[in-house]
Amino acid sequence: MSITYLFRSIRTEFSKVCNIQYVQSLHTGCPLLAAEKELLLKLRKSTGYTFVNCKKALETFDNDIIQAETWLHEQAQKEGWSKASKLEGRRAKEGLIGLFVGGRAAVMVEVNCETDFVARNEKFQQLVKDVAFATMAHHHVKTDGRTGYMKSLLAAEDLSKLNLGDGASLADQMALAIGRLGENMSVRRAVTVGVPAGWFIGSYIHGGVAGQSDVAMGRYGALVVFQGGKDGAQGILGRKLGQHIVGEAPVSLGNMDDIPCGDAETRLLPQSFLPDPSRTVAQYLTEQGARVLDFVRFQCGEAISGCA
Amino acid sequence: MYCHKVRPIKTCRTPIETIFICMSCHATFRMLALQLSSPGLLHTSYKVCAVPFTRRNFAAEAKVKKTYARDKPHVNIGTIGHVDHGKTTLTAAITKVLAEAGGANYKKYEDIDNAPEEKARGITINASHVEYATANRHYAHTDCPGHADYVKNMITGTAQLDGCILVVAATDGQMPQTREHLLLARQIGVENVVVFVNKADAVEDKEMLELVELEIRELLTEFGYDGENTPVVIGSALCALENRQPELGANAVLKLLQVVDEYVPLPKRELDKPFLLPIEGVYSIPGRGTVVTGTLERGVIKKGDDCEFVGHSRAFKSVVTGIEMFHQSLDRAEAGDNLGALVRGLKREDIRRGMVMSKPGSIQPHQKVQAQVYILSKEEGGRHKPFVSNFMPVMFSLTWDMACMVTLPQDKEMVMPGEDTSLTLTLRQPMVLEKGQRFTLRDGNKTIGTGLVTEILTATEDDGCNWG
Repeated sequence: MSITYLFRSIRTEFSKVCNIQYVQSLHTGCPLLAAEKELLLKLRKSTGYTFVNCKKALETFDNDIIQAETWLHEQAQKEGWSKASKLEGRRAKEGLIGLFVGGRAAVMVEVNCETDFVARNEKFQQLVKDVAFATMAHHHVKTDGRTGYMKSLLAAEDLSKLNLGDGASLADQMALAIGRLGENMSVRRAVTVGVPAGWFIGSYIHGGVAGQSDVAMGRYGALVVFQGGKDGAQGILGRKLGQHIVGEAPVSLGNMDDIPCGDAETRLLPQSFLPDPSRTVAQYLTEQGARVLDFVRFQCGEAISGCA
Repeated sequence: MYCHKVRPIKTCRTPIETIFICMSCHATFRMLALQLSSPGLLHTSYKVCAVPFTRRNFAAEAKVKKTYARDKPHVNIGTIGHVDHGKTTLTAAITKVLAEAGGANYKKYEDIDNAPEEKARGITINASHVEYATANRHYAHTDCPGHADYVKNMITGTAQLDGCILVVAATDGQMPQTREHLLLARQIGVENVVVFVNKADAVEDKEMLELVELEIRELLTEFGYDGENTPVVIGSALCALENRQPELGANAVLKLLQVVDEYVPLPKRELDKPFLLPIEGVYSIPGRGTVVTGTLERGVIKKGDDCEFVGHSRAFKSVVTGIEMFHQSLDRAEAGDNLGALVRGLKREDIRRGMVMSKPGSIQPHQKVQAQVYILSKEEGGRHKPFVSNFMPVMFSLTWDMACMVTLPQDKEMVMPGEDTSLTLTLRQPMVLEKGQRFTLRDGNKTIGTGLVTEILTATEDDGCNWG
């Protein structure tokens, strides 16, 4: 310890006398000293960037941890982009569906990554949350003041142009996450729904991951738009309908008086209702005095043609 | 030629191939077998001749197959780590280094990474299995790309991992998802983790390697592993493959193998466990007494051993007075043997199929268990609909089957096909169950899932009343 101290004091003396360049070359020439090691560990812990980069940052800024951190953040953006272009094309079919309902509007997004390990990581979940909020903000801007039923599907290209709250584009944010997690990722699709007064949005997310607060995430998600229902029970009704849609994967809506055609039924209304198989969905809805107007179902990694 | 006593555990993609597990050494074999349609038969054992058929396409194979020599204990290990940190390269390097000592066939990176889509993107997708032998042990090495694959691997039991190599690239250090890797290792019950710090040739500064090591030890400790004493080997798999810098390449790989040899303990062999005979049939032989038949699941039975019959709400003790196999009497039977045992003082009506004969006190019947279950997807022949709590499939395990009721965990409302989940299962009547026992769930004429008992729960009063 005393030797280290000695070294350090000598070095500080040095830096007073010599110019900075000289000290830098001295650093790269000799092994790391204990104090620097601590700084390096601290920087790595607080930022999570690789040791190699943290070390480079400390060397460039002569152990000024604040400057080093700023530099690392800038660098991360650049490296994220180069990593993103390098990993582009690797298949990403794992990931999460993020679902956010706020008042008369709801968004559902799909973000993909390569392995389910990453999908379980909170950094990835934060990204899904950012995407959901950005899409929601986009929806509010677009529908500004207008009421009435609005539903729009956004493909990957439209989504990457969206901006996050602080001005950074979604694509930048993706690049950052790719740089950090080292896997190819993509925002695959999103849907936004806005409803007029008197209509309700039900939602259900399946295979969920606990943790994130306002945005529900999982491997399957469903949004269902309906009218009516018993007062105060719309929340539960919407959830049950959403659960049914996730479970039974209907392709189309069908009519209230359609005759069910067995297990292979792909129309929503004549399907037997999942929480109560003795009735069809239509019968259940009649009982509740409700009417389903539209629905969307996302399954993580599914072939995209199936989405309504 | 040595005989393995094996039982089938998993049917392969080709319908006529089945994976067998040897009951005394845990080695797995892939070979041709008649497809078994009856679920009861799933748990029947077969005694098969020694040569493991590792080639899938034996008709086209003119070469004489190598005989698997059983001279070393067998251990299953796996690799986990980030996709780009070099798991497959390390596996290739291990086979290369060992091939020079005659312990393996050298497998190139492309050979391990062999499914068509894997090649397209350069990373492993499904489980790949590679075998090799060190001076002391024989290893089956498993690598899977995702969390779900490892969990499926655990449940179906193709190769329960005895230990794991965590691969971390020195250039990146641990990644955010390394936490998820360790969580997985915990979940699938891997007790022993060894760390390989890869790509050390790409880092000039030795101190950096120390920091990576320091950090990974910290993380291991955080996840309940012995971070301080966990062996960490620093090297470069690529160097080993390219015959460069032997101290980082070949020597580091050898050191890693030596460390795995020493650090990962041998699994307990089936033969060393208390005996268990799931009863398949009961016969009354005039002039001799009652004989029970079945395949010895584990352990060794000797003439004169005390035994206990448990199951179907009955339990009583007796003595094995004789053992017969192929109409010949013998003094001792081992796990995997298909035998008949003559028992003293019991009537045929006392015993029925589905009970077990065991070493007294070694196994108990239970009614309620916690299990990790994989629900087959539609493509795998399972249900196409999800199920919810109170679903009642039939559970098949050993030689018994019993209706059971499913209770989903609190944070789940339904289970979709193709998912793995934890379930609470309540049997209509207590049956022989223990931690680690495998079972199949069927509904109507469909197999809907397979599972592994993770915990025994105590049945409460109200578990018994709602069977209608």
